Amino acid sequence: MPETFVVVGASLAGGGAAATLRQEGFDGRVILIGAESQPPYERPPLSKEYLRDESSFEQALVQPPEFYSENEIETRFGVRAKRVGVAEKVVEIDGGERVSYDKLLVATGGRNRRLPIPGLDLEGVYDLRTVADCDRIRAEVAPGRKAVMVGMGFIGSEVVASLRRSGVDVVVVDRNKVPLHRVLGEEVGRVMEGVHRDHGASMIFEDTVAAFEGDDRVEQVTTQRGRRIECDFAVVGFGIEPVTELLTGTGVEIDNGIVVDEFCRTGVEGIYAAGDVANHYHPVFERRIRVEHWQNALEQGPAAARSMLGKAEPYEEVPWFWSDQYDFNLQYAGFHTEWDELVVRGNTEERNFIAFYRKIERVLAAVAVNRGRDLRRSMRLIKAQRPVDAAKLRDPDVDLRALLSAT
Amino acid sequence: MAEFEVVARADDLKEGDMRAFDVRGTKIAVAKVAGTFYAFGDTCTHRECSLAEGDLEETTVTCPCHGSEFDVVSGQVLRGPARVPVGSFEVRAEGGNLEVKD
Repeated sequence: MPETFVVVGASLAGGGAAATLRQEGFDGRVILIGAESQPPYERPPLSKEYLRDESSFEQALVQPPEFYSENEIETRFGVRAKRVGVAEKVVEIDGGERVSYDKLLVATGGRNRRLPIPGLDLEGVYDLRTVADCDRIRAEVAPGRKAVMVGMGFIGSEVVASLRRSGVDVVVVDRNKVPLHRVLGEEVGRVMEGVHRDHGASMIFEDTVAAFEGDDRVEQVTTQRGRRIECDFAVVGFGIEPVTELLTGTGVEIDNGIVVDEFCRTGVEGIYAAGDVANHYHPVFERRIRVEHWQNALEQGPAAARSMLGKAEPYEEVPWFWSDQYDFNLQYAGFHTEWDELVVRGNTEERNFIAFYRKIERVLAAVAVNRGRDLRRSMRLIKAQRPVDAAKLRDPDVDLRALLSAT
Repeated sequence: MAEFEVVARADDLKEGDMRAFDVRGTKIAVAKVAGTFYAFGDTCTHRECSLAEGDLEETTVTCPCHGSEFDVVSGQVLRGPARVPVGSFEVRAEGGNLEVKD
């Protein structure tokens, strides 16, 4: 009997895993199940080029549509996996069908967080995760229309930049002091605030939405501090939560996502996880981390597939992502939640800098604005997790690649 | 008709360096790796960043904006997000000049 490997989540991670199983020579059955009706696609353009109507959906596809049949990957798109039976080794899908597996990869990703705000379900209030979500927002975009963006994380920031580029008047409401505050902190967030203001976005910080109001559809947004903002439509970005219900009752540990080791294995034999949903042990940072970015989905799906085939190597990619806003290219590498010192090389006022998040003399992470080369050159420094001299980090004449051997 | 055009002095480009030149309207990058010059399309096929502003490691150039990697010898994509190769061009050092054919 040939083995059957089932991948739940027809995403960048899941689609990449299915492709990798074939590339690595697996000759059993591969079944790829996805809740969305489209073949796997990349999400970064949804807040950027695709939202601005500058790129097509086809350009976002991970593989051409015929790739799956050509590689004998059985696909079930537009079908939700409901539960997993560990004892029988089955995945139950919409309509009650039971799909048997020998090994199972869960790459179900995340869903947008919904906060209990009155009027959130009104017509004209959107969030953004899927291409279907994006198409709804795109239909609202036209020069001179008024939008409110609630939440200035990465998705919110990119949406605002795209809407401004498309001529939409935007008012931002965010509960923090600056955009991207949670991840990047106040100093770097302040730089991005200036960028958005220079591009005509109005921004309200340290306030939250009280309600979305309107008769048939949203007409205004009210805030806790008593503001009233008229709008034609609104977008909310409160982050995502991992989609894990599938594994309820299976014995797989769920804690901020699906808990896996550095080989993408859960504690239950034959069940693996990858991508946004996977809270994975990371050997570099010596802790579990869950990463909601493109590169992690791109690399961890295939890593999980190799693990399923018994070719596992520890997954220890340094997390990295970019965020394009207007003509600014922001990149981040590493992983940090707190830091002792922010060491800046370059000039934040000129918006050309790299900032290192340093804790106990080690660089946990770095963020660069229009300074991609330095960010690239910092990655090994981050991976090494060795003490680094702050003065050298700051000095633009010191080659960041040389720093590692010098310390 | 494509012809060799002088873009710089050959010794202007140091080992491990990259520079972009405008050759009759085409942005072409030249890299020097282990004494050999390689010429390739400077404009990343993903989002049009200048590859010469990126990083060069042996014969791999990494885009500064989104991390796509290209082989400077062939122009082939080694790693996404880019999917389309960049052009590959002839380059030579002639009489102390660096010359590129577009």
